[in-house]
Amino acid sequence: MALNLTINTSNPPLGALLAAEHVKASVQISVEEGKDTRLQVSDAIQFNDTNSISRYLARVAPALGLYGSNMMEQTEVDHWLEFSARRLCGQSGVSAALGELDKALSLRTFLVGQSVTLADLSVWASLKGHAEWPSQGKTCSHVNRWFFFLSSQVPFTAVGNKYASKKAPMTKSNTLVLAYHAATMDLRGLPTSQDMVRPTPQHSALHQAKQLRCTRIASECTQFPSAKHT
Amino acid sequence: MSMYQVKPVCGSLLKTDLPTCMYTLPNIHGQQGNSCTSDLCSQHALQNGEVDPAVKALEARQDEILRKLYELKAAVDGLAKTVTTPDADLDLTVSSSLSSQSPSSTTFTGVTNLDTLLGKDLGALRDIVINANPAQPPLTLLVLHSVLCQRYRVLSTVHVHSSVSNVPPQLLSCLGPRHADSYARQMFQLGFTLIWKDVPKLQMKFSVQNMCPIEGEANVARFLFKLLSPYPNDAALATLVDSWVDMAFFQLAEGSAKERAAVLRALNSALGRSPWLAGQEFSLADMACYCCVLQSGPASSTPSNVQRWLKSCENLGHFSPAKPFLQ
Repeated sequence: MALNLTINTSNPPLGALLAAEHVKASVQISVEEGKDTRLQVSDAIQFNDTNSISRYLARVAPALGLYGSNMMEQTEVDHWLEFSARRLCGQSGVSAALGELDKALSLRTFLVGQSVTLADLSVWASLKGHAEWPSQGKTCSHVNRWFFFLSSQVPFTAVGNKYASKKAPMTKSNTLVLAYHAATMDLRGLPTSQDMVRPTPQHSALHQAKQLRCTRIASECTQFPSAKHT
Repeated sequence: MSMYQVKPVCGSLLKTDLPTCMYTLPNIHGQQGNSCTSDLCSQHALQNGEVDPAVKALEARQDEILRKLYELKAAVDGLAKTVTTPDADLDLTVSSSLSSQSPSSTTFTGVTNLDTLLGKDLGALRDIVINANPAQPPLTLLVLHSVLCQRYRVLSTVHVHSSVSNVPPQLLSCLGPRHADSYARQMFQLGFTLIWKDVPKLQMKFSVQNMCPIEGEANVARFLFKLLSPYPNDAALATLVDSWVDMAFFQLAEGSAKERAAVLRALNSALGRSPWLAGQEFSLADMACYCCVLQSGPASSTPSNVQRWLKSCENLGHFSPAKPFLQ
């Protein structure tokens, strides 16, 4: 069955478009421009919001693992879907959200697991469409690394070039930051996507031990909160 | 043996006047011949292999000290194990009397083995820690908790973080009475720790070594529900459940009156087609929407299909834990 995704051209749902771009090899899907965003699944069921469309597309192509590989990863993906829809879209409190995102990415290449998931797609899409990014995100080195790593991948460049410009025309500051990143990449060699995968600290034993210790301390603090009782 | 002997210079039974304030010592001059022979006897006995009782006592004391040292070493090893595996329980001698308890659940079938769902663990209790704001009690999670208790052996505890004060007593007892066997954590399959805390959004921390903290009641509810019953296999139905859950938490619970009315209309038309929101089966969609509909306001303007569905939810009997908070 061929799926038909209609998008609102004045506010393109980047996350859903990215999901469509990822699954198009395994599912027949066509994208049409219109007034409302919707994915008609059957006579009775249609989905209108980005997160539901992304979820459905990830589920019809389970081999890609876009919804995580187990129940815990699924829950993390759910967390980031809500995070991008609610925390990164509002105009206030974005810097706090970016701080949290930076912390989460400090020891990770992808947001969930070891490969790209809906979490990466939706958070990337929210940042891409956000007016204050990347001027707000200068201090978040981990988010910057992750964002430009994804931006260099084929599905992201395809969607970014085609749709993102429609919503937020490239401003001068955006161009400057992109140029800056291109320059820093040149210093390290060719700016190919392979080059941008820096050796992740999560594979190094020392960092793993460090992370484990930190998280353990954190977990003990939460599990035995009686010491903090009033 | 002796070359010559000196004869005693005085009589053997010499009476001397001794002071009574000092210890008395045997007279070394007195029974010279007698004492000499007895000493010889004992020396011979030792040479023949018999053990002096004083040495015996000393050896017993050493054994005792060594035994205590071994015990101490075992205890330290045990403590070291709890450090390397957080939550491991030292006292494994307590028999698992709870294992005979049979799970009984009427509506939710399918998932029984936590290991297949959550992966193997190394003897540590799987503790679901939830930080919630007492201003917004998470009704869906309370309902899910009570259903989890029917299925699994759950160790539930409620704490109050120092960031909040004056938590109402009904919130402190919202997870039911404290379990009698709560000292033996290894007898439980799941830990459910609710911490009333001043957090902007509800948080869940679970398996923090490999999972980020999960924010939002909707996402925590999805996680807990999956422990009870798998999502529908059909991609469209599963996504339909998720979209109803989003609608319940974002538009019903937090939206304006206009948004609520729109969701109620959508609920009404969906419930005209099928008995439950996601088809023929009761799902998380019904649970979330039920709690949010009742929480969001008076039921006077509720459309007819929704009213019928509210009664059906009521009949399932899962929602009693949420009742005290629906005023």
